[in-house]
Formats: sequence, structure tokens, C-alpha cells
Amino acid sequence: MSNNITLYNKRMKVADLLSSDSALLSILQRLNIKLGFGEATVEDMCKRYGISTELFLMICNIYSFRDYVPHIDTLDCNDIKSITTYLRASHSYYTTICFPTIHEGIHTLVKELDNISRKLIDKFYDDYDREIINHFRYEEETVFPYIEKLFTEQSPSGKQYSIRQFEENHSNINEKLNDLKNIITKYLDECYSSPQRFELLNAIHNVESDLRKHSLIENKLLIPLVEKLEKSHE
Amino acid sequence: MNKETKYKVVLIEPSEIVATGIAEIINRNPEFSVVQTLNNPTYYNSNNDTDIIIINPTVIDYNERLDIRSYLGGTSCALVALTHSNYEESVLRQYDDCIGIYDNAARIIQKLKNAIEENVANPKSDINELSTRERDILTAVAKGLTNKEIADEFNISIYTVISHRRNISQKLGINSIPGLTVYAIMNKLVDMSDFN
Repeated sequence: MSNNITLYNKRMKVADLLSSDSALLSILQRLNIKLGFGEATVEDMCKRYGISTELFLMICNIYSFRDYVPHIDTLDCNDIKSITTYLRASHSYYTTICFPTIHEGIHTLVKELDNISRKLIDKFYDDYDREIINHFRYEEETVFPYIEKLFTEQSPSGKQYSIRQFEENHSNINEKLNDLKNIITKYLDECYSSPQRFELLNAIHNVESDLRKHSLIENKLLIPLVEKLEKSHE
Repeated sequence: MNKETKYKVVLIEPSEIVATGIAEIINRNPEFSVVQTLNNPTYYNSNNDTDIIIINPTVIDYNERLDIRSYLGGTSCALVALTHSNYEESVLRQYDDCIGIYDNAARIIQKLKNAIEENVANPKSDINELSTRERDILTAVAKGLTNKEIADEFNISIYTVISHRRNISQKLGINSIPGLTVYAIMNKLVDMSDFN
């Protein structure tokens, strides 16, 4: 990490945070934080909503500073629940807001295309959509419940699963999105250059960069913390 | 390739008889020119604009043979082994082709051309467009062939297939097999009917 960036801190006003990077708006949205918070600082707001201030700042730093690599040093196992809550909220943000927008954009775009391209793009996107839904579902139905169980059971029954398995199978959900972006940017004929094609690309760009941060939170925060928790059970 | 510019070849071979013979064969061909003959790779200057290095693997210490490109200063030009005897597959697969001491002139030239085409370290000839070989491999990928099947079909090592695939993905910005398939169909490398 370069030394000359100033990360966010808990004494900053939430409003200043947002005006320095509007991408952070969607984090508040995911966390169900209501607008109209006046001059509240990050710390005030986190207290009011029962969110870990450290974790909130980390997530904001991840979103705003490309070179920032979060570390679990300042977190503890109690933050795991807040992380899974955030990740679930993100999934729902993707599935109810981001992907429907992209889907609509694809739908508009393919209407203009020749038969073959239309079939190809439609199928490619449908397959991706299914893949990402399965990816989220697996996390929500298998991984997160496993983690939650670690808190309630002193020694989880059997050793059928560990977070390491999740890490090993954690597929790269961005690869196909990136492919789609390049196909639409570079390889669809230039005759299909409606404003919607630009808008669609913008939407794909945004969700792609968001998903990258989402994975970073999983890989750099969630997995190491859960590993720590698993060790404490041994 | 512009006819005015010949591919520049550097020859690294300790035997003067062999070096002189190969250089003579190569220089007779209008497309290639041996610009330097060395008996020792330490004299090789990696900053020049060589297109092909022909090198006898014996001139390199056994321990260094497995990473020949970095030994030659991280060169990205085409590499051709000149072999008087047999080598392990792991040594030879770093080369884009391999000339045997009993190859005739036509075969040597063919191998040099092949090496330029095969050179996966730097597809210098056209940096953005896919080469013919890359298009063939992309077609095979889109048809659903595995790396092993592609290696067998084109008679190259799996390692070379993987390098080609990496270069294809880098050029196109497409990594997944479904994505490559979409590209291949849109560019008429394969037919949609192959999939139904």
C-alpha cells in the first residue's frame, strides 16, 4: 500500500465520506442506513445502527482506495456476523438492483442484433446469471449457516466441512463478466452502437468492480477470521 | 513479412564446423540472415533486435537449462534448439522448435519459420491480431477440445497449448471457454451448428 493515501477514520462526518466518494452510497444502502443523518460522524452512525466501526471503515476503505489491503488485525471473531450480514445484504443488492439492470440492458441490446449474435449473447448471459445465483445461494445456504453454527455449537458435529474447502472452491465470478464486457466493447459490430450499449457497459463495469471488492472482503476478512474461529474450537 | 527485412538470427554453437554449416544454409535463404555467431552464450547481448536464437543446449550449464529464456536475459525472441543428441522433454519444450544435426536445408528453414509462428513468448509479428496458429487453437477450444487433445492434434506439448491459450486470452480479453466460444462463432471460426 502506498503511504501517501489518507484512509477514512471514525471521526469523519458521514456526509464528507459520501462527498469524497459517491460509490460509498451503495454501502449505506446495503446496510439499510437512512439518509438525513445531518452532521453525524462515522462513529455516531455505526453506534446507532449497531455496526462495528472498524469493519465499516474497512469496507469503505476497500471501496475507495484501490491499493488498500484490509487485514484482520483490528477485528475479532465477533465481527464475523457483521461481515456475513454485510455480504448477504450485498448479494441482495446485486440480485435485486445490479443484475436486473444488466439483464434489461442485455435484453435491449440483443433486440438489435442479428440472429446468431442474439442467441450467443442471450445464452452467455443466462448461463452467467445462473452461475452467479448458484454461487450466492451456495454461500447463503451452506457457507454462512456453517459459520453461524460455529458460534452456537461448542464443537461442531463432525469435520465434514471447513472454511478452507470454501476457499478452495471459491470460483472466480468475475471472469465471465469481464469476458462479456470485452465482447460487447470490442467484438459486437459497430453498427449496434445505441446509447444503451454504453449504459449497459457502464453497469457491467460497476458491478464487476463491486464484485471484486466483495471477493476481497470474503478472502481477506471473512475466511481468515473464520479460520481463527475454527482453530479456537480445536 | 516485408521482403526487405530479413529475420535476424543469432547462432550459439560451440562447434565451428557445425556453426559455419548451419549459417551457410540459413544465409542462402532470402528470409533469414545470421547476424551473429557465438560459441558461448555469455557474449549474447539481449538488447539487440534478434528475431531467432538458435542455441545448442550443451553450452548452458545443466542447472540453467530449464529456464533458458531468463538465462538469455529474459529474451522474448523465438528460440530454436540445435541438438546433436537427445535431451529431456522438460529441456526441449522451452524452445519453439528443435533442429537436429541431420536435418536437411529445407527442414531447417521450415523449422525456423515454424518457430517464428510458434513463438509464444512474444507474438511479435502482429501484436494484437491472433496468429494463424492461435486461431486454429482457439477454434479447437471453442469446439470443446481439452488441452491434451489439442496438444495431440497439433503435435505440440500441453505447455505450449497453455501458453497459446494465455496469449489468446490476453489479446482478446476473454478468458472463459464460453466467452471464447462466443468470439469464435461471431468471427466465423466455428459454426453455430457445431453446438446444437
